[in-house]
Amino acid sequence: MKRNALNITVGIVLFVIFVLLLFVFQVRTTQVAVVTTFGKATRPVTNAGAYFRWPWPIQEVHKFDERIHNFESKFEQVLTPDGYSLLIMVYAGWNISRPDVFFPRFGDSIQQAEENLEQVVRNAYSGVVGKHPFSHFISTDEKELKFVEIEQEILKRIQDDTKASGFGIDIKFLGIKKLGLPEGVTQLVFERMQSERQLQENRIKFEGERMAENIRSAANLESAKLLTEADAQASRIRSQGELEAAKSYEVFQKEPELANLLLKLTSLEMFLKGRTTLILDEGTPPLDLLKMTGRKQP
Amino acid sequence: MNGSSDHPELEKPGQRSAMQPIPETPDDPGSQALSDALRSSFKIIRVVMIALLVVFLFSGFFTVGTQEKAVILRFGKPVGTGERALLGPGFHWAFPYPIDEYVKIPVGQLQTVNSSIGWYATSPGAEAAQNEPPPRPSLNPATDGYVLTGDENIIHVRGTLLYRITEPGLRYTFDFTNTQAHVQNSFDNALLYAAAGFKVDDALTRDVAGFRDRVRARLNDLVAQYQLGITVDQINVQAIPPRQLTAAFAAVLEADVRRGKVLNDARSYENQTVSRARSEAQARINTGENERNRMVKEINAEAGRFTAFLPKYKANPRSFIEQRQIEVLQRVLTNVAEPLILTRRSDGKPHEIRLQLNQEQRPPKLPEAPKDEH
Repeated sequence: MKRNALNITVGIVLFVIFVLLLFVFQVRTTQVAVVTTFGKATRPVTNAGAYFRWPWPIQEVHKFDERIHNFESKFEQVLTPDGYSLLIMVYAGWNISRPDVFFPRFGDSIQQAEENLEQVVRNAYSGVVGKHPFSHFISTDEKELKFVEIEQEILKRIQDDTKASGFGIDIKFLGIKKLGLPEGVTQLVFERMQSERQLQENRIKFEGERMAENIRSAANLESAKLLTEADAQASRIRSQGELEAAKSYEVFQKEPELANLLLKLTSLEMFLKGRTTLILDEGTPPLDLLKMTGRKQP
Repeated sequence: MNGSSDHPELEKPGQRSAMQPIPETPDDPGSQALSDALRSSFKIIRVVMIALLVVFLFSGFFTVGTQEKAVILRFGKPVGTGERALLGPGFHWAFPYPIDEYVKIPVGQLQTVNSSIGWYATSPGAEAAQNEPPPRPSLNPATDGYVLTGDENIIHVRGTLLYRITEPGLRYTFDFTNTQAHVQNSFDNALLYAAAGFKVDDALTRDVAGFRDRVRARLNDLVAQYQLGITVDQINVQAIPPRQLTAAFAAVLEADVRRGKVLNDARSYENQTVSRARSEAQARINTGENERNRMVKEINAEAGRFTAFLPKYKANPRSFIEQRQIEVLQRVLTNVAEPLILTRRSDGKPHEIRLQLNQEQRPPKLPEAPKDEH
């Protein structure tokens, strides 16, 4: 009897598990699912959790990766309205937002969806690039540069197109990954860059020489100015001295003859300071004393 | 034997009926051995069953390392929301699959992404060995990467990005099929965008830091816009001119360096000249000053002497003059090298004196060495 009860319990547990497997399905946080009833998509499931369903063959569950996929376009040539050929590659982040729309269109194939997306993206960037001159892609003028606006325009167009054609996907973001020029053009650019470099090299050289020359002549001018100022100041100082001296000269006016005498004596002394040969007449005092004795002798 | 079975549910009814006749021949040693073997194998199965159950329950245990966090998904849905869903480092338990599932998130671990556009076709090996293929005259868009600068020049750029997953990291882990690819695309876009607004010389040499800042600002914008759930830690950016023009760009740099040298030379000339002029000017002013002082001093001394002599002179001008005259002659005569005194000839005629004016040929009887001044 005890054995029977145990058997029944085990049986019930197994049955419950079987029923659960048939009637319940799980959607992971990274997934979305669509429930099909007799092959027709009837119920999208976009939130994670466990859900009820009728067993096969009434209902089937198709699960999709809900995460944001990375899409990268080819590197393709487009024409700007001002006649430049530009190579452009864009990337986009997209995910399946409406599995009930996605499934009937692409089945389980992400790849097929990306192939269709590729077409839409190409149309979008060809259209948008065709409206922007080359200077909107690259420019040193922030106002002229429309890089971000171009990305937004392409994104907007893809979003509209995918919605209109019922892809059941959402384009989350888009950016330009690569910009380039046709191979032949790069060579022309190199030639232009080469001549620009040469020009710049010369400009730098001459500019340097000119600036150096300016510095030198300014220095010469400055020093000349300094010296002239100094000379002017020195002569001012000298004339000050003369002015002071002139005050002292007034003293000599008391007895000009004495002043002259003293001046003469001083200059005589100065004049004869060196090794001089002096020829003197014996009449000069104090040699006049010699004359007196000489007269006595003969 | 047949009543002592502990786990009758492990035995299938068919087996039981097959085993029933065995005790009827207990003397058969072969049957005895068989039943012993069966009994011990049941024991082994029981042990294995228990072990499996234990393993099943314990498989729910997992450890989270110091550099990571973990999230438990119950029926595919995170348990808890936001920060509270995160399990820190340590020992944790979750229901075994298919009820629970745990996912580890390497929050805080530094991750690296390299840019994929902007560099010419090469390989790290060839680059390290300096064995890169020589540049062709043009760039093939399929293999050679480059970016266009704002002034329509071509340059090569590449970069390395270090980032961390920002907590809680749920978006980084669960919302993208390949988050690294999105990070890389954003980084590529940032390089492209930064170059598109920069002049070639600024990007390469004059404003390298500004270029990197622009890349970083753009990248941060994109990370926020795309909600990648990362924090940019460090960006390294390298930009070089196209290899086809290496020499031309080097020549400009060299000219730049040379200009710097020429200017430096000029500036040092400026310094020297001006400071020399300044000291010369000071010297001239000083000379003027000296002359003034000397002049004033001399005149003052003269005036002093004058004032001192004035009373004596006034008393007897004639004798004063004579006295002064004699005094001076006395001083002068002691200095004079060769005094010649002419006496008056007795016949009253003048003397005839011949002077040899060249001092060098003076007879060397003099006590002093000849000097050329007098």
